[in-house]
Amino acid sequence: MNVYSTICPGCNFGCGLYIRENGKLELDFRKSSPANAGKLCRFGMSLPRFYAPLRSTVDGKETTLDEAAKEAAKRISGGSAAFLSFGNTTCEELLAFQKLAESYLCTGANFDALPKDTHQTLSVGIPYSEVETAKHIVLFIDPYEQYPLILRRLLAAKKKGAKITSVWWKKLAVADETVNPADISKLQLTKDSLVIADFHPFSDVEQVKNVLSIAKNSEARITFLKPFANSTWAYIAAKDAKQKSLAQLVEDINKGTVKTLFCLESDPSELIPQDVLGKLTNIIVQAGQAGAITNKAHVVVAHEPLYKKKGTLINNEGRAQALGGGSTNGLDALGIVAGTKLEFNSLHESVKKSLGIAAVDEFSIPKYERPAYAALQAALKPVEAKTALVSVYNPFMWFNMIDDNDFVEMSLNTSRGLKLLKGGTIKIKSNGSTIEKKFRVAPVQENVLLSCKKFGIEKGTITPVEVSR
Amino acid sequence: MQKGEMLIGWSTKEDVRKRGGSGGLVTSVVAAALEKKLVDAVVVLRKINEFEAVPIITSDVNEVLNSAGSLHSVPSNFAKLIADRNLKIALPAKGCDVRAIIEQSKRNAINPDNTFIIGLNCGGSMHPVTTREMLDVLYKIKPEDVQGEEIEKGKLIFETKDGKEHAITIDELEEKGYGRRENCRYCMLKIPNNADLACGNWGVTGDLVGKATFVEINSEKGAKLLQNAIDAGYVQIQKPDEKGIATRAKIKGAMEGLGKKWKEKVFVPLDNRLEYFRKELEHCIDCGACKTVCPTCSCGDISKCTEFHSRADPYRMSMYHLVRFLHLADSCIGCGQCSDVCPADIQLARLYRRFANPVQEELKYEPGIDLRKPPYFEAKLEV
Repeated sequence: MNVYSTICPGCNFGCGLYIRENGKLELDFRKSSPANAGKLCRFGMSLPRFYAPLRSTVDGKETTLDEAAKEAAKRISGGSAAFLSFGNTTCEELLAFQKLAESYLCTGANFDALPKDTHQTLSVGIPYSEVETAKHIVLFIDPYEQYPLILRRLLAAKKKGAKITSVWWKKLAVADETVNPADISKLQLTKDSLVIADFHPFSDVEQVKNVLSIAKNSEARITFLKPFANSTWAYIAAKDAKQKSLAQLVEDINKGTVKTLFCLESDPSELIPQDVLGKLTNIIVQAGQAGAITNKAHVVVAHEPLYKKKGTLINNEGRAQALGGGSTNGLDALGIVAGTKLEFNSLHESVKKSLGIAAVDEFSIPKYERPAYAALQAALKPVEAKTALVSVYNPFMWFNMIDDNDFVEMSLNTSRGLKLLKGGTIKIKSNGSTIEKKFRVAPVQENVLLSCKKFGIEKGTITPVEVSR
Repeated sequence: MQKGEMLIGWSTKEDVRKRGGSGGLVTSVVAAALEKKLVDAVVVLRKINEFEAVPIITSDVNEVLNSAGSLHSVPSNFAKLIADRNLKIALPAKGCDVRAIIEQSKRNAINPDNTFIIGLNCGGSMHPVTTREMLDVLYKIKPEDVQGEEIEKGKLIFETKDGKEHAITIDELEEKGYGRRENCRYCMLKIPNNADLACGNWGVTGDLVGKATFVEINSEKGAKLLQNAIDAGYVQIQKPDEKGIATRAKIKGAMEGLGKKWKEKVFVPLDNRLEYFRKELEHCIDCGACKTVCPTCSCGDISKCTEFHSRADPYRMSMYHLVRFLHLADSCIGCGQCSDVCPADIQLARLYRRFANPVQEELKYEPGIDLRKPPYFEAKLEV
């Protein structure tokens, strides 16, 4: 019976768990894990489903990992290749990947549109223990749906007397007060406040600037949660690299200057429209499990899943965590693609050196520089639509996995205004398409529909829609 | 050797005596069962450090001999690990593990004839994260410096690598919010006489203190298991003295008395039950971990609690929890695994016990104690 001590790839929180291979995959709770005390969210509990087996293929034909990697090397040599990785794999692999991707690197984050002096704040969060001791916490996230393991830290803070303000479209049980995101000027912060927001490929840059600015002006602390495991390292390792934003990548694919996309443990099918992906001559995916993109890829380099890998992950706090597997065949495959043999040990030493640590110890957090950033101005665009469909991005959405989330939430007044029938459906129209969905009444802001699933009619996080019975 | 007999024993292997708790008897009994093919596999804890060990099923005698001794900061959960595997297996088990194995057996997920249970006396276990914090805050020692721990005379003692012992009374620790997991405090099963053997250090006296284990034989299977270890040359035994037997009964009585006090303290009557349960469950994120980990649940993925529940439903309290409250009223053993794994830190065991205590008391039905008593609310179909 193989048992692996591992980290959940569902987001950047860094939750420890065990995976057992015992005919089928099973999970077990690693109660000594400092980030999560062994507790897992809905997605973490679904990991045996997430780790769907994958085989190496070239143009749909099954082959070996080595052959697939050699073919990938051939297809990226044309000079019009872009390289995409949000994280989701070890620091050691990401170091090697970012070197390979010097010509065109995309981490999915739009750093170019944000001042350089904010990048470190966006990349590395604060220790979760500091959440528990904060006096006033301002949430720009829904902890229940998006980053559930932060919830127990918020509850611990509340027990110690913290006040929690939520800037969200729905009244959250953990919050003492709720501020409508449209009325953000009403927000009152002090230097004792801690702002918790998130930063992801669909983050509205002006909204990110606004949140940074609010914290800056009140001298409050701020921390950004992120949806992809080890994106902390993906971002800090690429801080001096010339990165391309996701929007730039889409533009370059549309223009035809990018014809080949190499994705390392990252599925762009949630982030890049299907018609754009369809313009690529080559989609090369190096991954450890099957997903939406692996069905579309021209070359699949299938290596071990994350839980079998050897290497280091950095969680949102900046905590270095060792994976309990022993395999480096993902790294070996990258070596074949790059045309050079990659040594795990030397890459591991580089990671430790960069973090200023002698050994990976999950019980202590390396010291990170947390430079102050200059005042910044945001140009927020008000939402003008009468009714808006708000996508509440969560791990099931990022990884395109089925969940019990095929419905929208709305207020009782909105439901009554539309004369919706209890147990019935609502019609939602956008961009010429109409969908019909179940609804649930919840304490949501008026004229807002919240959704934890992508329905295919969205235009970003907030989509103006027309609704009817 | 027969059912009802009490003995004192220890491992004949010096390295096992050193590594295992109380003379290494349990490790040796398990290893002998494997080596002499009484069983095909055993469950052991593969030790990572003083606060972490992972349960594994193994057929490797060396792995057994190198496995962890007593670890109070590893609240393990063995029943589901061996359920639905049709194994001929031996395993050490604290009281709640034994109860869970018996409940799984009643539900035909474990074959009791092929399962040899070596029960371990248990005064309670601790959550590893709480323990690390407790060491830092109350003991003022670094968790990395700890090389052993034991509970003796109401004190929790940690030994550090410099050979020093650091002791604080469990009462003091628990007053300050540390110490044992809440469900362990009110647990009434301290000596698992529902297992084939019940083993522990209570009742070991004189020069043998810390070097031997008191064993109670509770079944014919238990007698076979111990005799096998003696015949294989792994274990030596002797008769306990009267003083030891009396001491054992006294400790058991004192521990049960303390458990009863805690039970009264935790389960104070409620004024508004509905509002209480709603409030307690308001942070539930629907992860389902409490069901997955529940060692008496043998329903599988498709079950009443999940099938009657949809996230699209606007109920103020989920059907999932309501069905589980009902379902567990006769089968909750109070192991606390649900509370351990809840990502919203809901004290679920307390909520389940709120339903289970009155039902189980009224029906005079204790789940996991007697294999012959079927779950009260269910019919056991003979196959």
